[in-house]
Amino acid sequence: MSIRNKAAIVGIGQTEFSKDSGRSTLRLALEAILQALDDAGLQPKDVDGIVKMRANDDLFEIDLLRSLDLPNLRFFSEIPHGGGAACGTVAHAVAAVTSGMADVVVTFRSLNERSERRFGESAMGGRVGGWMQYTLPQGLVTPAQWIAMFAQRYLYEYGHTTEEFGRVSVLCRKHAATNPHAMMYERPVTLEEHQESRWISEPLRLLDCCLDTDGACAAVVVSAERAKSLKGVPAYIAAAAQGTGSQAEMMTSYQRDNIARLEEAEATALDLYRTAELEPKDIDVAEIYDHFTPMVLMALEAYGFAAPGKAPELFRDGRLELDGEMPLNTHGGHLGEGYLHGFGHIVEGVRQIRGAAVNQARDVSTCLVTSGTGVPTSGLILSREAY
Amino acid sequence: MAELPRPLPLPDRDTAPFWEAMNARELRFQRCSGCGAFRYPLGPLCPACRSFDFQWVASTGRGHVYSYTVVQHQTHPAFPAPYTVLLVEMEEGPRVVARLRDSNGRVEVGAAVRVDWEDAGGQLLPVFELEGGQS
Repeated sequence: MSIRNKAAIVGIGQTEFSKDSGRSTLRLALEAILQALDDAGLQPKDVDGIVKMRANDDLFEIDLLRSLDLPNLRFFSEIPHGGGAACGTVAHAVAAVTSGMADVVVTFRSLNERSERRFGESAMGGRVGGWMQYTLPQGLVTPAQWIAMFAQRYLYEYGHTTEEFGRVSVLCRKHAATNPHAMMYERPVTLEEHQESRWISEPLRLLDCCLDTDGACAAVVVSAERAKSLKGVPAYIAAAAQGTGSQAEMMTSYQRDNIARLEEAEATALDLYRTAELEPKDIDVAEIYDHFTPMVLMALEAYGFAAPGKAPELFRDGRLELDGEMPLNTHGGHLGEGYLHGFGHIVEGVRQIRGAAVNQARDVSTCLVTSGTGVPTSGLILSREAY
Repeated sequence: MAELPRPLPLPDRDTAPFWEAMNARELRFQRCSGCGAFRYPLGPLCPACRSFDFQWVASTGRGHVYSYTVVQHQTHPAFPAPYTVLLVEMEEGPRVVARLRDSNGRVEVGAAVRVDWEDAGGQLLPVFELEGGQS
């Protein structure tokens, strides 16, 4: 059996993105979820499933159950490894609504990443176990530092310079500049500004790193059959998948043959295209997870839009601009809109399918949404039609 | 934040002999008794042949830089920036993460390095030095 177009995202919600929300992550989550349910024309009593991500937070489905008074909650799961999980929450929701284990599944991400718990500030002292026992004691303690190893090897393998990273930053900030929801609204950057921004962990500069954001997003998933009786335009889920790679660790999978490519994303891509019965050329718009600029290049290669080492060329001829053949990160992504661990990409993907985005791409039938890389990852292909 | 100590490994039943040997200035890897494959990070089972049997084998301590980063933005009080962290492919094959001893030292991918040791408060940890002092 295939899940192709058997489920749909029928509601989305999103709070403002800021440096200080002034309220709890529980409240942010509830605001986004209620908005998403209202968008779908559903009530909290209809919700019988919740899928959440896990990283750097302590918000559980039972917190939502208490606050929303969910009398029918019967399916709940949690996906580890931070931003790699975002589209995976939708994948689990699809599994639930297509198997009959749930009818209405809420997925969400809520963070006070800027005002409370910043990923970029390590609080690790004392003894560390697991895979981190080999890296943290050596001063590799933050995502930027872990990812820098992949980035350096990518430059070495293909002879690129950091200007290629800079073009990713410039494009995302360009799209954010015309998105009033974005933290970097009306604040584009130039390649020169990228090159002059300070080093964080070479070869990564400040403008290669995503923002830190307070905010929340939510999405409601139901079966395609159920979607027909709801008010909104459904974004059909043509494919949803999680993917892994060899010798996997969380952001430090340094033992695999070649760390200048993303095995997890390659596996996810294969699964997505097979399920959707589509090819990379069929994707109309792409929302690619952009925690660090070099990972966008490697992801574009993994998802089949360029040969290994060739993704920088995509940024040179306008192909990824709003009027190009496949606009990229139309909302501005994590580099420009805000960092909701991939959930802003899902919400934007749904808007593009609905034709309701601020930076709307032309004639959108399909949208690829991808989640965090350098970790076990996930992705979605959304479709306007249930073909 | 100023109170935060340098993180240290938490040895478990699979990794304790590795960290103990380090305190005797030996970098060692697991070598599968079934197929001879080196195994790192450490673990109970050979993913190549699924044998639980292995020997500890001392590394030559030599390798080359596979990748690296120069940390310029300090994020942890125990690690004053700048410092250089290397990902070194050892002669045996496993890739080991450790700092370059000279915090101002420049390095490139491919540079030959050898392991030495630094005391991190009761635990010796590896640190790399450039072979012949070249970069």
